[in-house]
Amino acid sequence: MRGHRAHGALAAEVVAALAAAEAPLSPAEVQAALGSELGEDKVQATLVRLWEIGVVARRPVEGRGHVYWPMRDAAADAASRMRTALAGRRPKRAALRQFVTSLRGVDADRLRALLVRLRS
Amino acid sequence: MSLAVPLPVALSLLLAILAPRAVRRTAPALAARGLVVAAVVTSGAYAACLLMLASTLMEDLLPLSTSDGGAGPIAAVAAVLLAWGLWRLAGDLAVRRGMRRRLRGVGRPRGSGLVVAEWDEPHALAVPGRPGHVLVTTGMLRALDAGERRAMLAHERAHLTRHHDRLVSWAAAAAAFDPFLASVRDEVAHQAERWADEEAAAVVGDRALVARAVTRAALAGHPPSPATSGTGGSGILHRVRALSHPAPDSERGIVLLLVLIAVAVAEVAVVAAAWLA
Repeated sequence: MRGHRAHGALAAEVVAALAAAEAPLSPAEVQAALGSELGEDKVQATLVRLWEIGVVARRPVEGRGHVYWPMRDAAADAASRMRTALAGRRPKRAALRQFVTSLRGVDADRLRALLVRLRS
Repeated sequence: MSLAVPLPVALSLLLAILAPRAVRRTAPALAARGLVVAAVVTSGAYAACLLMLASTLMEDLLPLSTSDGGAGPIAAVAAVLLAWGLWRLAGDLAVRRGMRRRLRGVGRPRGSGLVVAEWDEPHALAVPGRPGHVLVTTGMLRALDAGERRAMLAHERAHLTRHHDRLVSWAAAAAAFDPFLASVRDEVAHQAERWADEEAAAVVGDRALVARAVTRAALAGHPPSPATSGTGGSGILHRVRALSHPAPDSERGIVLLLVLIAVAVAEVAVVAAAWLA
């Protein structure tokens, strides 16, 4: 199963990688972030498609194609709407599923120790 | 007849106490579904019993009633519980519908099935719909490395493809009407998380990677000085531990849930018989 991506999963990972990065990324850098088993042409094609529909922006870099970054305005607007949506206690509890809920009642140190073990 | 009120309450409490133990080693996909069925049947039995008991009150109020007022306080309690349950159920449905609408309005997932919000607080959640999408903050994306991000996205997509929102909504509705089922609702939510963890592990082919993603996401936004120390009990530690073992496949817990469902059905029959007598 490893390396297999569901339909549309690659586009989400590309957007996620660009949003996580501090600076614009070239296709090669995106590919490096996502893992080795992907061809750069596949990443490139995904980036171009995302640029065509206006999800990401790009500018040319001398002699080396383009670098890409996510549309920050949309992300900032989304943030303010998300803040409003999650405001208050009742909505938060009713919020569908979050990847992790709050750590209330958990020893953060125990989790950190677990993380160290998982990395080794 | 006087036993009829404690019966549905006792059954709900029994389910609430036994359910989390029953499904401890059950595969999460089976556990989540079994718990939802048990919760819905139990709250249905609770509703049916309350309805029958409360209806004796109506008979008492009718001038032509042949009953000579034996039902009194029990019927009144049942009527109050019934009204309270319906009120809570309506509130739960309204809050959930509003939440879903607001989350859908946060942004459109054009081309990628993903909406990113520029926000330091780490959140990632599945927004159900047709086809539904993932909503994630930059705070969450930056807390994870590329492999962990992939695990997190696979986890959220599993919530969407397996329609976990429906399971959780049914459990929440059951617990809204029958408040004794609150812990069953929470267990369903936890099993849905475990289920999505297992699906993500199958997609990325690495259980430890998913465990790392869950742990790191949980720690994101928690500075090293832990005022968060507590006695454990949260689902996160359990999820991480479960991922450090092979995928569970026991079906033992479901037998107990089936027994509880049968008891719920039998209980409605008993109360109905008493009511008709």
